[in-house]
Amino acid sequence: MLFKSPAQRVGLTVFGLLVAGFFLFPVYWMFTTSLKTPAQVLSPAYDLIPLSATLKNFSNAISIPNFTTFLTNSLIVTLGAVAFTLAAGLLAAVPLARMRFRGRKGFLLLVLVAQLAPAEALFIPLYLIMRDADLLNSLLGLGLIYVAFTLPFTAWTLRGFVKGIPIDLEEAAMVDGCGRWGVFRRVTLPLLGPGLVATSVFSFITAWNEFLYALVFLREKDKQTLPVWLSSFRTAFGTDWGATMAASMIYAVPALIFFLLVQRKLVAGTTAGAVKG
Amino acid sequence: MTSSVDTARSAGATPPAARPGARRRARRPLSETAVPYLMLLPGVVIMLGLLAWPAVQVLFISFRKLDLGELVRGKVTWVGFDNYTKILSDPEFWEITLRTVVFTATVVAATLLLGLGIAVLMRHLSGWVRIVLQLCLVLAWGTPIIAATTVFQWMFDQEYGILNKTLVLLGFDSFKGHSWFASGASTLAVIGLLVVWQAVPFIAFTLYAGLISTPRDLYEAAAIDGASGWQAFRAVSWPSVRPMLALVTFLSVLWDFRVFTQVWAIRQGGPDGGSTTLPVLGYLRGIAGSHFGSGAAVAVLMLIVLVAVTWRYMRLLIRSPETEL
Amino acid sequence: MVGGVAIALAVSGCAGSGGDAGTNTTSAAPPAGPRTLTVWLMNGSAPKTLVEALHKEFQDSHKDVTVKFEEQQWNGIQDKLTTALSGNDAPDIIEVGNTQAPKFASEDVLEDLTASVNDFNGANWLTSLKDSGNWDGKQYGIPFYAANREVLYRKDMFEAAGITTPPTSRAEWLEAITKLKAKYGSDPDFQPLYLPGQNWYALLSFIYDEGGDIAKKDGTKFTATLDSPEAKAGIEFYKQLLEASGTKAPKDADEQTPEQAGIYGGGKVAMMIGLPWEVATAAKSDPTIKDKTSGFPIPSKTAGQTAPVFQGGSNLAIPAKAKNKDLAKDYLKLITSDKYQADFAKAGMIPGTSKDVSALQSDPVNAAMAKASTNGKAVPATPGWATIEAGQNPLKDMLTAYLTGAKTLDAATADANKALNTAFSG
Repeated sequence: MLFKSPAQRVGLTVFGLLVAGFFLFPVYWMFTTSLKTPAQVLSPAYDLIPLSATLKNFSNAISIPNFTTFLTNSLIVTLGAVAFTLAAGLLAAVPLARMRFRGRKGFLLLVLVAQLAPAEALFIPLYLIMRDADLLNSLLGLGLIYVAFTLPFTAWTLRGFVKGIPIDLEEAAMVDGCGRWGVFRRVTLPLLGPGLVATSVFSFITAWNEFLYALVFLREKDKQTLPVWLSSFRTAFGTDWGATMAASMIYAVPALIFFLLVQRKLVAGTTAGAVKG
Repeated sequence: MTSSVDTARSAGATPPAARPGARRRARRPLSETAVPYLMLLPGVVIMLGLLAWPAVQVLFISFRKLDLGELVRGKVTWVGFDNYTKILSDPEFWEITLRTVVFTATVVAATLLLGLGIAVLMRHLSGWVRIVLQLCLVLAWGTPIIAATTVFQWMFDQEYGILNKTLVLLGFDSFKGHSWFASGASTLAVIGLLVVWQAVPFIAFTLYAGLISTPRDLYEAAAIDGASGWQAFRAVSWPSVRPMLALVTFLSVLWDFRVFTQVWAIRQGGPDGGSTTLPVLGYLRGIAGSHFGSGAAVAVLMLIVLVAVTWRYMRLLIRSPETEL
Repeated sequence: MVGGVAIALAVSGCAGSGGDAGTNTTSAAPPAGPRTLTVWLMNGSAPKTLVEALHKEFQDSHKDVTVKFEEQQWNGIQDKLTTALSGNDAPDIIEVGNTQAPKFASEDVLEDLTASVNDFNGANWLTSLKDSGNWDGKQYGIPFYAANREVLYRKDMFEAAGITTPPTSRAEWLEAITKLKAKYGSDPDFQPLYLPGQNWYALLSFIYDEGGDIAKKDGTKFTATLDSPEAKAGIEFYKQLLEASGTKAPKDADEQTPEQAGIYGGGKVAMMIGLPWEVATAAKSDPTIKDKTSGFPIPSKTAGQTAPVFQGGSNLAIPAKAKNKDLAKDYLKLITSDKYQADFAKAGMIPGTSKDVSALQSDPVNAAMAKASTNGKAVPATPGWATIEAGQNPLKDMLTAYLTGAKTLDAATADANKALNTAFSG
C-alpha cells in the first residue's frame, strides 16, 4: 500500500496467503471429505491431497426432496432479516449518534444490555410469545427473532460509524444544495459502507446458520429452512457424513456470494474516506 | 494530529438533520422533537418485545419448578430459591464456573489478538491477496457448525486424523496414536481452536471496517511526519479502532462464555466432565433433563457472572466521552 | 406482569384439553366433518413402503380423515417434542426413543393406554420396549420397533484364518482373534476386532451375561448396581477382549467417533460389534463387502448360548393434548397389526408388537440379530436416563478410566455408580 519496498510487499503477500491457508484448511478438509467414500474419510493412507473422488455425496445431498423449497425459505427469511436489521439499526444509530433528546443514554444502555440476552435460554418464552402472536410456522416470526438477535450489535456498530463521519462533510453538502435525503444518500451512506458490510455479513451468517429456532418454530416441512436440511442426513441408521459435508459446501455458497456482492462497498467506503476525509 | 473521532466529537453538537438556523438551544416544534423517538421505535419495540420481555420471563421461570409435566399442563409451582440452592450447593458448579471463565478469557484473548492482527494485515495487503484472505475468512465464518465440529474431530482423530499423520510424517513419532481428547484441558484446547477459528473472521472484518473508515490522508500525514509503522498505528489507527475493539471484546466475552454447540458436539463435556462448561451444565439440567426451572437458574447465574465481568466495561462505555454528543 | 409464562401457560392449559379433561375427548362422540390426524415419526424409522400403504388403508377405512405425516429430524427432537406437547396443536401420534420414553411417561404428558393394550397386539410385545413405555404400572408407550447389536464379521477372512464356524462362546471368540492375528498380523493396519473403549452397548451384553445389570428396580425407584461382582466381571471381560482384539480404536471414544462402519469398510477389520445396517454404510465404500459379511450373536460365557443384548428402539405414544385420540388409537391398532409389523422385519428391524421374525431369516446378518433378540433388555426405565442418554454417560467414563489405567476397577465402578444414582434421583 503505502511506502513499501518490493521485498516487504512479497513478504506481506506470502504471510497473507499463509494466514488465508490456516483459515481455509478446515474448509478444504470438508471439501475433500465430501469427495470421499465413508472408508476414505478416516483411513490409514496419507491423503492430504485426495486420492480419488466421487460426486455421489453431492447428488445424495441435492436429491433430498424439497431442497429448493428449503433454499427459497432460507433466502427469504435471511435476506428479509438482514434488510430489516439494517434499516432498523440505521434508524436507531442516527439519533443515538447525532441527536440530542431526552432519554438518549437510556436507549444507549438498552442497546448495550440487549446484547446480554441469552439466545438459547430465551427459547421457551419466545416460543410462547410467538405462539400467542400466532407467528409460529411463519417465516415472518422466525425472521423477527433473527432481527432481535442481530439488531443490538448492528445498531451499536452503525452508531459508531455515523459518529465517525465528520459533520462538516454533511454540512458542506447541505450548503451545496443537497437536501436532507441527498446528503444521506450521497455522503453518509457511502461512508457507512464498511459498517454496513460488516453488520450485514454478521446478520446474514447468523440468520443463515441458525438451526434450533428454525427447527422448532417452523413446524411444517414446506416452511423449513436449509439448516434443517443440513441435519436431515442423520437418521436412525447413523449419519451420512459424506452427504453432510457436500451439503455444507453447497450451503456455504450463498454466504460467499452475498459477501462478494457486498464487499465492493468495503472498497467504496475506503475510497470515499480517502477522497473526502 | 486529529482523528476522525475527534472531528466528530467537536462538531457533533449540531444534529445533521437540523435545518440551518435550528440551533440546539432553540425551541423545536413537537414534530421535530418526536423525530429521534420515531426513528428508534422499530428497534426498541423489537428489543423490548423479543429480548427483554422473554429475559424477564426466564428470571421468573428460574423461581419455579417447571418440568415437562408443569409445562404441558400449564401448572405454576413456585419454589423460591430451590433451583439456585441446588445448583450452588453442588461443588462441581464452582469448578465448572472457574473452567468456563478461564476458557472464555483464553479464547477471547486469542481471538482479539488474531483478529486485530488480521485486520491490520488486510489493510496492508494488495488487492487480490486481500480478497483471497477475505474469502477464506468468510468461508470459515460461514461453515455450518455441524460440519465444522465434525471436520475438527476428523482432523484430530487419534489414529487416522490428518494432524497426527502429518506430525508422524514430519518425524514426531510420539504423536502416533496420540489422543487429543484424553484430558479435559486438551479437549478444551481443541474446542478453543475451533471457536477461535470461527470467531476471528467476524472480529477481523469488524475491526477492518473500523480501520478503513479512517481517512487515508491521516496516514499519509503521519508518514510525512516521519512516523514509523508502529507510531502511525498508535496515532492514527488506534483511536479509530479502539471503540470498535471495545465493542468486539465485549461481544466476544458474551459469546465465548456461552459457546455451547461446539463444546457439546466435540465430546459432550467429557472426558469425565472435564470439558463441561456452564452452558453444557445448563443444557444437561434444562433441556436434557427437562427441568426448565433449573436450566433457567443456570442461565440467570451465567448472566450474573457476565454482568460482573463486563460491569466495569459497560459503565465505561456509557460514561465515556464516546457516547457524548 | 408477574409470570408472563405462567399466564400464557395457564391459558393454554384451559384452552387445550390438557390434564384430566383430556380423557373425556375419547369417550365423547367423534366430531363430524373432515379431520386431520397428525403423525410424527422419526427420520428413517418406518420404511417408506410401510408408511404409504398404512396411510392409504387408514384413510380408506376412515372417510373424511386425512393423515398428515410429518417426518421429524433427530437433531433437536427434544426441544421440538417439548414445545409440541405443550402446544394447542400437539400431534396425535409421536415416536419416542425408548431410552427417552420414561421421561415422558413419568411426567404424565402422554395418554394412558393401559386399557387398550390388547387392541395393540399386546400379547406379542417385545419385553424391552414394553418396559420402557411403562411407568408405575401404567402403559404410556407402546412398542414400535427395535434392534440389537451382534458381531459383524468378514466370512472371507474367517475362512482364510481357518475358522470354520462362527464362535459360540467367549473362549471361541478369543480363539478366533488369535487365529486372525496369526493369519493377518503382518499387516500393520489390520485389526481382528474393532472395539473402541466406550462401546457401552457391548459392555451391557457382557454384564447381563454375567447375571448383572446396571440398576435394580424397586417400584419406580432405581439403584445403580455397577459395583456388583457380576457387573465388575462384565467390565473385566470387556478389558480382556479389548486387549486381545488388536484394535487401534480410541479408548476415549465410542463406536461413532470415528464411525466404525467407515473403518470396517476400509477392509482391514475382521469384526466389529454393531447393528445390522452398519453393513450398508460399510458397503458404500466397498460394495463387495456386503457379500463378504455375515454376523453372529454376541457369544455368551456359557458355550452354546447367546449373551443377552441391549435393545434400542422406539415407542409410539399419544400426547395427552392430542385432539384426535380416538383416531390415534385406530391408527395404533393398524400399525401394531402383524401385517404392518412384518414390514419392519423385511426392512431388517425387530418388530415391536409381533413375534414373527421369519422375514429376518433370509439374511444371515439379520438372522443373527433376530436370534439374540429373544433375550433383549432395556436400560432402566427412569426419567433420569434421558440426561445420561443426552451425552454424559457414566458408563463411558468408567470404561475409559478403567481401560487407560486412570482408575482401578473398584474406583471406576464406585464413581460410575454414584454418578448413575445422582442421575436417577433427577
